[in-house]
Amino acid sequence: MTVTAVALRPSVGSTHWRAVALPIVLLLAWEFAAHAGIGDARFLPSIESVAARGWTEIVDGQLLLDIAMSLTRDIAGFIIAALIGVPVGLALGLSRFVERVFGPTFSAYRQIALFAWVPLISLWFGTGEEAKIAFVALAALNPIVFNSAEGARSIPVQYREVARVLTFDRWQLLRYVALPGAFPSIVTGLHLGLIYAWLATVGAEFFLNLGPGLGGRINEGRELFQMDLLLLCVLLLGVIGVLLNKLAGLAETRLLAWQKR
Amino acid sequence: MTTTSRQRRSFSRRASSNPARRSFIALAALALGVAIAAPAVADSTVIRLGYPGVGIDNRPFGYGDNISVAHIGHFIEDEFKNDPDVKIEWTFFRGAGPAVNEAIANGQLDFGAGEGDLPSIVARSKGLKTKIVLAADTRDPIYLAVKPDSGIKSIDDLKGRKVAQFRGTNLQIATDRVLEAHGLTERDIKFINLDTGNTLAALASGDIDGAFGGPEFLDLDRRGIVKVVYSTKSDDPAFGRQASLLVTEDFESRHPDLTARVVKAVVKAAQWSTDESNREAVFQGWTKSGIPVETFRADFAGVKLTDRLSPIIDEFFIARYRAQADRAKAYKLLRNDVDVDSWFEPKYLNQALAELKLEDYWPRYDANGKKVATGTVEQTQAATQ
Amino acid sequence: MSVIPEPGYLEAAVDALALSTDRSDRRTCALPARWARRLQAAAVGLAFPAVLLLLWELSARYGWLPAQILPDPRLVVETIQEFVASGELLDDTRISLMRVAQGFLFGGLAGLLLGVAMGLWPRFQAYVDPLFLAVSQVPTLGWMPLLILLVGIDEELKVIIIAWSAFIPVTLNTYRGIRAVPARYREVGQVLTFGPWSTLTKIVLPAALPTIFVGIREGLANSWQTLVAAELFASSEGLGYLMAWGRQLFQLDLVIMAMIAVGAIGLLFNWGLGSIERRLRRWQVAS
Repeated sequence: MTVTAVALRPSVGSTHWRAVALPIVLLLAWEFAAHAGIGDARFLPSIESVAARGWTEIVDGQLLLDIAMSLTRDIAGFIIAALIGVPVGLALGLSRFVERVFGPTFSAYRQIALFAWVPLISLWFGTGEEAKIAFVALAALNPIVFNSAEGARSIPVQYREVARVLTFDRWQLLRYVALPGAFPSIVTGLHLGLIYAWLATVGAEFFLNLGPGLGGRINEGRELFQMDLLLLCVLLLGVIGVLLNKLAGLAETRLLAWQKR
Repeated sequence: MTTTSRQRRSFSRRASSNPARRSFIALAALALGVAIAAPAVADSTVIRLGYPGVGIDNRPFGYGDNISVAHIGHFIEDEFKNDPDVKIEWTFFRGAGPAVNEAIANGQLDFGAGEGDLPSIVARSKGLKTKIVLAADTRDPIYLAVKPDSGIKSIDDLKGRKVAQFRGTNLQIATDRVLEAHGLTERDIKFINLDTGNTLAALASGDIDGAFGGPEFLDLDRRGIVKVVYSTKSDDPAFGRQASLLVTEDFESRHPDLTARVVKAVVKAAQWSTDESNREAVFQGWTKSGIPVETFRADFAGVKLTDRLSPIIDEFFIARYRAQADRAKAYKLLRNDVDVDSWFEPKYLNQALAELKLEDYWPRYDANGKKVATGTVEQTQAATQ
Repeated sequence: MSVIPEPGYLEAAVDALALSTDRSDRRTCALPARWARRLQAAAVGLAFPAVLLLLWELSARYGWLPAQILPDPRLVVETIQEFVASGELLDDTRISLMRVAQGFLFGGLAGLLLGVAMGLWPRFQAYVDPLFLAVSQVPTLGWMPLLILLVGIDEELKVIIIAWSAFIPVTLNTYRGIRAVPARYREVGQVLTFGPWSTLTKIVLPAALPTIFVGIREGLANSWQTLVAAELFASSEGLGYLMAWGRQLFQLDLVIMAMIAVGAIGLLFNWGLGSIERRLRRWQVAS
């Protein structure tokens, strides 16, 4: 899935109170409805019951373990994708030959919807950890390779000319021209890759469900009609996604600033 | 102009002092190291058993066969309790038979413990190399549960309705046979592939009109949430399902002794579980799956424990598998023929029976289901009534 | 010594080749340079997949990998023929496409409306934006369990979740596109004394169109992705259902066939919308 919510800035300035107005009104309405018994009680737990559930799950249950497992799969898959994706992307972008031979195949592979890989992966890897991590890596691979290739392709001509003047060999070209030139795009690709990886982690746990994880808890909440657990986990899902996005954004700015030096 | 070698060397020195690059390399090395080290270790042998099913809300407990009895009663662990370098590892698969197949295909399991007839037949048709060493359960009935207000009273009313069915499990082929007997095919019904947990949820919320399944519905029926309108118990018992204990040919050839001992442990479990005086205890043990005891009492009403939980591979059992393989091909669940006869390996079972002096314990049936030998277990009586 | 090839030397070589065939006598057909280049690109691009196919065929013949990991390619071809002949593949594809069409239309329209509203009225946007931002951070699939409890597992679930996955990028891009319309365009509208409706339809929307279109394209891609996931979960027909069937019954050939179909349709969507987008850009630049 393509993502566009990467760097959206909320409107600034004196409209601050407007920003929180709607969410607060909705939350109040929710609380009111839950307490007044409007709507199906099963489907509308009050906010404190969700919070209380969260507390019990952390203290008595294994919510923290689930989150940790999900994050581990996320990071593991992401690292694999980064290790494979950046070199492959650079090769695609730098070498005309590689682009012509492998480019079309890669384009075709990109067309296959991510979740179409789930049955294949489960048949090839079973439903254990390897399967989930493989799926996450597959998801993150897409933007990483694409952006690294884009970055390598759009290295300014002057860089290349400098390299030619200094008669760099292939490795020097890579180190002093290609990597720095493609760096911003590579970082963007990694940022997107992280987002996709989290998406895939959730999806993997949904479909390849075995072992602890946030997706498994969501399933549990659904099957047992425990709306408070379900809402709690969906909330956590979003929050972790936002945090990862923010972290990636911070890292991105940091790295780009460092490169400018 | 070419750079002097001194200039080139100074370039490279500056590059390798790049902190980001160094930490990157370190991270990569760490990841690689972990990946290599992880599967290593273990001088001990691990016996990996995979059970096709989970209890309510994913509890790692099964029910309805002698494998689950062995698991709950720790029969296999007891067999190996004096062998410190043999570990027993159970995995319960929410994805049932198909998931067990995937795991076996990937070398992640040594035993398919209680795998149903259809999934193991499908796997065999795809070249998965296993051997059936023991019967896990036979004549397992299936039930059709419907929403009370759906207006479905029998199989014939199912035409065009939305029905859940866990595809690829032995439920599918049992269902297909029932449908065939009533003049219907899978195409006449809108079948939705749902696993057990999702099926129960969908039934309760009314998303589907009906569902085929096992005793999980009996509790919902008692509570009035669904109505069980059909069961193979009241129809032809040949419509029931089977399951077996399978061992991978690879594990069997490497550890025939361990295979024999696992079989012996399950035979012991079967001995205990087919003894009518243990009837209540068997049901109570199965409640670990989260299913209430009344369900099992109802499921087994009018049925002797030994009818379902006998471990014997007799002509009836083999004939059932042959029939299922035939039907599977006819229903296009398989592509090629499956050689069932060479699949069974009863030597471990016979060895265990001899060792435990249980050769006459269980009755045997011929290919048509007629009893050809009585068993001493039939004289055991339930404690109450 | 430097080994950087001149960028474009291949092009030059092809041009030379084309030119020479152009110049030479009628024996060799005088292909225009563009077609020669296209053919060559196609040939080179197909080389790698051809090698993969060859390896696959050899692997099946010599049994390098077990049949359940990699089925015989001929089996896959047979399966495709079987399913095309029986019309099943077409049926399932049609059903999947219908779901996408419905969901995408709903989500896209809703997204356009909200995006226009947010773009035109900053005050409205100030209220709605944070909430929108928050909910858009939850991955679409994350909403599925909630939705299942609310609407069940039937068609509504699929259409709603597909609509949602299209709604978000369309809204975002519409809003951004409208915001990015330079002030002078609106001033032109004022000069020409356009009413608000005319300003919207004659100036703002056309100017924002390329960005809006990016959103539409993303929305369609998202819709297709979500459809596959939703169908995998609980369906009785469709391409995702075919894949689930293949997985349950260990029929990898079915899975591969369905994957090819999914990929082909994704390709069609991308290519179709991509060419429309290119045309739009050209039109925008020209104007």
